[in-house]
Amino acid sequence: MSADRQPRVVVTGVGAVTPLGPTFPESWAALVAGRAADAPVPPEIFDTTGCRAQRACSARLPELPGLTRKALSRLSRASRLALPAAREALAQAGLMDRDGRCTRADLAISVSTTAGGMAFGENFCRDVIFARRAHLYSQVERYLPQQQVLDLQQDLAVSGPSVVMANACASGANAIGHAADMIFAGETDCVLAGGFEALCELVFVGFDCLQATTTEKCRPFDLKRSGLMIGEAGAFLVLESRASAEARGATILAELAGYGHSTDFFHLTQPQPTGGVLVEVMRAALREAKLEPAQIGYINAHGTATPVNDGAEAMAYRALLGGSDATTRISSTKAAIGHTLGAAGAVEALFAIAALRTGDLPPQLNLQEPIPELAGALVGPNEKRADLRHVMSVNLGFGGSNAALVFSR
Amino acid sequence: MKVDLAIAGQGTVTPAGVGVDALFLGTPKPHMTATLGEPKREFPVLRVDLKDAVFARWQNEPRLRRVSPITFFMVEAAAQALTGMPAGDRAQTGLIVALSAGCLLYSRRFFEGILKNGRRAASPALFPETVFNSPGSHVASVLGLNGAVYALCGDESAWVGALKTAAVWLKRGRVRQVIVMGVEEFDPLALDAYRCARWVRRSGFLASEGAAALLVRTARPDDSLVISEAHETPPYRSSAEARFAAAELFTGIDELVPCHRSARNTWAESLEADATEGRPEFSAAPPPYLGLAFTASAAWETIRAARTLDAPRGLVPIWGLNHRFGRLDLTRR
Repeated sequence: MSADRQPRVVVTGVGAVTPLGPTFPESWAALVAGRAADAPVPPEIFDTTGCRAQRACSARLPELPGLTRKALSRLSRASRLALPAAREALAQAGLMDRDGRCTRADLAISVSTTAGGMAFGENFCRDVIFARRAHLYSQVERYLPQQQVLDLQQDLAVSGPSVVMANACASGANAIGHAADMIFAGETDCVLAGGFEALCELVFVGFDCLQATTTEKCRPFDLKRSGLMIGEAGAFLVLESRASAEARGATILAELAGYGHSTDFFHLTQPQPTGGVLVEVMRAALREAKLEPAQIGYINAHGTATPVNDGAEAMAYRALLGGSDATTRISSTKAAIGHTLGAAGAVEALFAIAALRTGDLPPQLNLQEPIPELAGALVGPNEKRADLRHVMSVNLGFGGSNAALVFSR
Repeated sequence: MKVDLAIAGQGTVTPAGVGVDALFLGTPKPHMTATLGEPKREFPVLRVDLKDAVFARWQNEPRLRRVSPITFFMVEAAAQALTGMPAGDRAQTGLIVALSAGCLLYSRRFFEGILKNGRRAASPALFPETVFNSPGSHVASVLGLNGAVYALCGDESAWVGALKTAAVWLKRGRVRQVIVMGVEEFDPLALDAYRCARWVRRSGFLASEGAAALLVRTARPDDSLVISEAHETPPYRSSAEARFAAAELFTGIDELVPCHRSARNTWAESLEADATEGRPEFSAAPPPYLGLAFTASAAWETIRAARTLDAPRGLVPIWGLNHRFGRLDLTRR
């Protein structure tokens, strides 16, 4: 299909549960106000005894009207984050009926996660290892990521195609990019795309033993950055062809104008120090959007606050945008909500879209001494930019996954 | 979804041996393996022989020093599928990996280490290898596949999703060809799960492991065999919904179109029998049973079907045991 005959893909709804709030508007308001959600890991989620880091960004689980107590008890924490976010996105898109069911029974789903309902898997493993007789198949069956998709499909009464992307911390961007690809390829004209991740012991301890987590504040792009803060979230957006959105009179929030993704083979857990692969990924997304780098007004950066990631990422932005005269504003929202892993690409895409629509820029929190490559580019408190036309959301992950999304007005 | 994928290469790693011919050799001898929860309870399991000489060529790869068997299965199967492809073409080759349990062995070891030795003693060497997309990253790196890499999770139907994703990539022009893989590794923890699910009580059931790879590209008019359609049923959670989905799998398809039956020794076997009743089979004798290895099994059955189809069209049902069913349509031209 030639480029000019391809459908345009637009965003018609967003929804999120984050550590900053149970809905996207609440999360966004807290974010631009400069709030951060890090706190000790609640003991009811898991015990952190023996870990270097003790803090994370946990979310308050929202109510789920319409579900019985029994149904709620069967849901993994991951589904408790995903369902309200998906409902919110579909409601904003005008695709929910009065009974809380999606009006598109054939709705496709493209989601991302790195751990699915891992707490159920941990419980099963714990019971097996300690030879407890109580281990239940329902626990191990429901830890698998497709079960959270099934929870979504049941709750929303949809049965269209589904994809579960597990590309580590770039998964969320991949899930959104793939959703757009599905529309471009003519597989469907409407997709619920996003990601979810719940705090779990295996992943928390995993990053902790790599000494990738911080024991103090999460300081992306700071010379004194000391590591990431784990977070959790569910975030979704409704992507559809512009023709579909216009035909049903939906409000268009933004256009997904470009998607780039590739794999960096430098190291399983570290990006190429110069950020070269990331530069190519961002250029690919810009090519698809038919934009020049300088036209991007704001980048929601991956910015984990690990020494290795942020150094390489800063080099990549410098290479893409040029030197100190670049006007693109940059921030990592992980200082506020933590690194939400499989949800990160989705929730950060939503923040980029909100910046595009409101002109409010999420400030770079916890900044003391910015790294020289980005000095002057990082967003300060209460910054606004009313002329934003295009924004980018960037993610990197283990395995070398790199992805970039461009959204336009 | 119309996918129109031509198969340009194939590779397999199975408990019966390495290479596509192993799919037809026979059922290998199972190994009695204890569950983790009750070490006195043993069940027969089919395992890949990692001491097979073919794996030796991967042992010295620097990137593969710490990897678990799943990566060795993948790299060998993918290398077979790429046989004959010039190194330069690999730069335009993507990789899509469908997994169910993923890196189960190291995930269990890592978490068991936490439980037994404390969080302070958690292994930084194991954790990165527990991540779903790590094996795909290793394989793409070792084989020089510079296109994109996706890891897709799900039950067996993720194999159908992976082929659909490959078709989308090709339509979008993101790559010229794609290696699509199904892969699983065995860990005794899986036996505990199968025991809870009562799958091990089913006569003939064997847990298994292995990998398969298809190198696919957009079909041309002169391709003799094409994966023409990939279809997913509605999802199910109850047995009634599963019955409905199984029936939907073949709705509207001429009952003379042959079907490659593959649900042997699983709970879906009776659904398959009902849904395909009266429909001819690809071949009179069923191929050897290689056990249950989820996405790898789905990929093995696809290759078997592609090898044995001698009718103009054939159906390959993919019985996802935890979410939804799928169907691939093969067309011989």
